[in-house]
Amino acid sequence: MTAAFKQPPEQTASSVAAPHIVLRGVAVDFVLERRRNRVLDAIDLDVRKGDFVSLIGPSGCGKSTLLKVMAGLISPSEGSVTVAGLAPQHAVKARLIGLVFQEATLLPWKNAIENAAFLLMVADGAVSRAAAFDRAAAMLRLVGLEGAEKKMPSQLSGGMRQRVALARSLALDPEVLLMDEPFGALDAITREEMSECLLEIWERTGKTIVLVTHSIDEAVYLSREVHVMGANPARIIETLPIHLPFPRNGESYANPAFKAAEHRLRGLLIESHAKRRT
Amino acid sequence: MSNDTVVRSRDTTVLESSHDGGQWLSALGLAAVLVVLWEAAIHVFQVSSFVVPAPTAIVRSLLENWTALAWAALATTQEILFGFCLSAIVGVLIALVIVRFERFGRALYPLIVLFQNVPKVALAPIFILWFGYGLAPKILLIIVIAFFPVAIDMLAGLQSVEPSFVALMRSVGASKGKILLQVRIPHSLPYLMAGLKVAITFSVIGAIVGEFAGANAGLGYVIQFASTQLDTPLIFAALVVVSVLGLACYAIVERAERLMVPWAPKFESTHA
Repeated sequence: MTAAFKQPPEQTASSVAAPHIVLRGVAVDFVLERRRNRVLDAIDLDVRKGDFVSLIGPSGCGKSTLLKVMAGLISPSEGSVTVAGLAPQHAVKARLIGLVFQEATLLPWKNAIENAAFLLMVADGAVSRAAAFDRAAAMLRLVGLEGAEKKMPSQLSGGMRQRVALARSLALDPEVLLMDEPFGALDAITREEMSECLLEIWERTGKTIVLVTHSIDEAVYLSREVHVMGANPARIIETLPIHLPFPRNGESYANPAFKAAEHRLRGLLIESHAKRRT
Repeated sequence: MSNDTVVRSRDTTVLESSHDGGQWLSALGLAAVLVVLWEAAIHVFQVSSFVVPAPTAIVRSLLENWTALAWAALATTQEILFGFCLSAIVGVLIALVIVRFERFGRALYPLIVLFQNVPKVALAPIFILWFGYGLAPKILLIIVIAFFPVAIDMLAGLQSVEPSFVALMRSVGASKGKILLQVRIPHSLPYLMAGLKVAITFSVIGAIVGEFAGANAGLGYVIQFASTQLDTPLIFAALVVVSVLGLACYAIVERAERLMVPWAPKFESTHA
């Protein structure tokens, strides 16, 4: 790796620092057929540096919108957002934010390593092709895709494609990783594999990760804190710290703390679903 | 896991290609049988050659008139070549303009769809009136017939890039132009090739129709000339040449597609 890339911050899951993402009184209105719809309301959220938090809630409750606000893709109608002390748009320009979506959206005419290097080369006109490829190769190793560099997206399984997408965002070396249901299109076993992979990456790199998911298991297994969102009005109805001990692995699912958190989250989600219907 | 998917896709490709080979063989066999039946029917029912010629009569006419047919084919090929290339350029430019200049595009798109509803063949006499009997009116006719599938397919390709990928590009500060150049255009190439395959068949039709409307060379001209002479075998001979020419043009475009967009799902096996 060249000196041009900053080293991952020295930080482990146990040492958590100052707020990294701060939302205060954030509201988002969408105007649809001249009618103003409040999609998000009164969101206060603090994500500490190096933390792993999940946003969970019924579909259509605005959790993806909230993530897009953090990514600077949607401007809030009210309230303020800062990422690493900057407005999201500036944080994005400073390459502090990496994004991963549900669909891997790899370019089908580029192989794995070209895809992994693509965003970095677009973001940084000054980076040489060789340096970008070195960086991309290192990130493919990190996500467990060593040896698959030359494969075309059509030759990769869904899980592997999503790993390439993750490597592509990690290649930017962002401080914050915003993930919108990244494993939503994968089968159950692949999801668990990807969760383990993500947990390992988080422990090794100390990135701040915000994960949008509708999987209770995923949220509990991965996060240190889960924000439960309710619809109408879309807001955070409860913040649940997860006291599941580290290191987390396959056995964590049987831990009483896991069961307790899962049970609590299920209750909250059922409640918020019921409210939505009325 | 990856091995599984790769092997599976290979298996299906093998299956499909052997299936295709079999289809070709049986199609040729069926054609041969039909030609023999045709020949037999002409002789059994003693059908006059100027109503329906026997296959042997058509072959004889082909051999007798091969220089005239070759010259005519050359003229028609020229029209197809220029017409097709220009329709491709016009179609691509229209699609790019619509995507790049959204506001203008919103105004232009309905006009193009409206224009598509004009029966283009009916324009042939007007083009003859304006440009005479030469190459120009044929090329113009081909363009107005063949640009549309190119423009529409290319446009669909440019606009079908995953919105989340566009968001990703925007998130790293990529400009609209950069997204167009590095993502939308390469993404649209398989769509463009599909449009070009339609355009090449339209181009052949356009050339023949253009020659019907008024010409002094070309296969369409030969067909019209032969019909005034009641030389039906020559009409059929010219039709055979037109068909072969059309098939050859299509094969070339398809070959280009395989070379240019090997990642198109259909040709997954080429880089496996």
